[in-house]
Amino acid sequence: MNLEKVVFSFFMILALTLNFGFFYGEVANPDHHNIYELFAVIVINLIATVLKFGDRSQLGAMLLATSLVAVAQLISASIVWTFAVHVQETGLTPTVVATIVSLSGGAFLANIISVILLMIEAAMLRH
Amino acid sequence: MNMVTSMILRRMRTPFLLLISVYAIAILGMVLIPGVDDQGNAWRMSFFHAFYFVSFTATTIGFGEIPYALTDAQRLWALVTVYSTVIAWFYALGKILGLIQDKAFKQAVTQHRFKRDIQKLHQPFYLICGFGETGNAMVNSLTEEHYRTVVVEYDEENLNRLNLNELKEYVPSIAGDASEPHILELAGIRHPMCQGVIAVTASDETNLKIAITSKLLHPDIKVACRSEFKDIEENMLSFGTDQVVNPYETFAEIFGMLTHSTSLHLINDWLTGAPNTRLSDPVYLTEGPWILCGYGRFGRELYKHLQSKNISTVVIDPNKSLKEEFDLNEDENRFIIGTGTDQKTLMQAGIQSAAGLIAGSDNDSNNLSIIMTALEINEKVFCIARQNKWNNHILYHSLEDQHKSADNPINFLIMHPREIIARKIRTFFLTPLLDRFLGIARQQSCEWSNIMISRLSAIVGDSRPHVWSATINKKTAPAVTQSLRYGRIITISHLTQDPGDRNAKLRCVPLLLIREGQEILLPDDDLEIKIGDELLFCGTHQVKDNMHWTLRVMRSLNYVMSFRDEPESYIWRLYYHYRNTSERRKRTRKK
Repeated sequence: MNLEKVVFSFFMILALTLNFGFFYGEVANPDHHNIYELFAVIVINLIATVLKFGDRSQLGAMLLATSLVAVAQLISASIVWTFAVHVQETGLTPTVVATIVSLSGGAFLANIISVILLMIEAAMLRH
Repeated sequence: MNMVTSMILRRMRTPFLLLISVYAIAILGMVLIPGVDDQGNAWRMSFFHAFYFVSFTATTIGFGEIPYALTDAQRLWALVTVYSTVIAWFYALGKILGLIQDKAFKQAVTQHRFKRDIQKLHQPFYLICGFGETGNAMVNSLTEEHYRTVVVEYDEENLNRLNLNELKEYVPSIAGDASEPHILELAGIRHPMCQGVIAVTASDETNLKIAITSKLLHPDIKVACRSEFKDIEENMLSFGTDQVVNPYETFAEIFGMLTHSTSLHLINDWLTGAPNTRLSDPVYLTEGPWILCGYGRFGRELYKHLQSKNISTVVIDPNKSLKEEFDLNEDENRFIIGTGTDQKTLMQAGIQSAAGLIAGSDNDSNNLSIIMTALEINEKVFCIARQNKWNNHILYHSLEDQHKSADNPINFLIMHPREIIARKIRTFFLTPLLDRFLGIARQQSCEWSNIMISRLSAIVGDSRPHVWSATINKKTAPAVTQSLRYGRIITISHLTQDPGDRNAKLRCVPLLLIREGQEILLPDDDLEIKIGDELLFCGTHQVKDNMHWTLRVMRSLNYVMSFRDEPESYIWRLYYHYRNTSERRKRTRKK
């Protein structure tokens, strides 16, 4: 058993499950989307990204790329949130919530791809 | 991803992870702990405010308790935030600084920079392996004429000298073993612009390896090597090394020119030297016996030569086994055991009546001592000093100067291997025709050399003559080639006319013309030029640039040939053509 693999897979899958939890629910309903969950998704995704730093294999590069995509999407979502609440002070209107959730949806997709790549890597290692 | 970025990323993984976790915990704590606003209502920090607060706290900027004064519970958490985040930052910065000072990292950075420098080279360049004395001289003389060079040297200390030198071109350099193929590959041996490899490291074995590597990795490029041993030289030549320079043999050749005539030696010295260096003065030999101190590789080459000229020679060497070998196949020449640094041995060898003395041991102190002792006994003797270490040139030159003032004309010759090899390789790469010219010149009479040297000094005066070759083809002489295709007759005198003022002559001498493999020595002014001719000229540097105008620009060529100005661009040419033909038509109609 490789501890590095366990840790990395843990963060990758945790990012996916948390993201799913945040994403799941009515798109425009603020009650269905918890801000703490978004915070956790961002932190876990950042950690998963940094864990892939310096990996020179082809798969490592692709995992790094998908993680970067997820982080970029999630940070945009959080910026939209901050803008709506603190800068424009419109509050969480259905439009804003829909934007945030759809951005996190994109990140969710990137996380799914990461996990698929992870599974491919695991399958290849068995040979 | 290149080495450098991946190294940074791998090393920074732990500090980044630590920072992210510490930030996340601190932010979450600030958000969860309840506070009060300025009206005393219960209030909680949003993620935005918490991130702002933690960011300025962690970087020790500390704007204060924003937006509302903190409660004691929040302050307690703020304390935790301050210590944990600041420590995390220090750790991260420490890691970065450590990485920058890391030797492996530094090496990766220099290697990466070198690789980029090589990729960016878009001009032809020469790869010089070995930056010792010879390599240094090569780099200096090539960059002086704006040729690009790349240096590979084993010893990093030697490379540091390169940066101190103020060279006219930037020289990318790398510390590494040039006998390793991957180092040569890194240095651009496969680069399409690589013109040649110059292997001048101190070890013959390394030079051999470099030559093999070059011939295998890039068979088209020319390779010049330094070699002091016969068997390695033959080995190098066996797989097609283009030029192998043996400093001893080459000096024997130069010595041969000197025994042929003073002028021939001067011609060689003037034409092969690097630009902007001092011209040497003529040296004169007298008839008589010679004394040769040191019967090593250098001594043998010179001895062979002296014997072929039937000059009686006394050999002095401390090695007894050499005497046995010498006596076996010897005729009338004597061999004395000794170093030659003492008066007794020199007297025994007959220094009083000797015409020349060669101090050819591999020890500079002994060589200097031999000459100083000999000059005390016979100040008219001609001295040849072998200089082994470049650093000793001050000693040799001051000895030469002292000797010069005591006695005129000058009878002193210093042999520096570095200078000899650098000259030979320079000529081979930059003006290969010059080698052929000197070869022919050696077969001419003394009178021919005397006339030649007076012609040269009339042209260039005191400055170092510049030698260049011109090939009449579409690429290097487009104007002349096109004119010849029109059927015009161009002679050498056209090329040597000043394109700025056609009544004046350029100060240059055409030395050699090669036509279909035939050599024409000193071609006449009214010789007609043909396409494919190769010409060798000698003159000043300015003249070379002037001649380029005639060779390349139609307008300049027409001017020196006294033709009318012709349009250069396509549309104007069409227009002129149309006008000329219509005028002709009008004229014929009038008739």
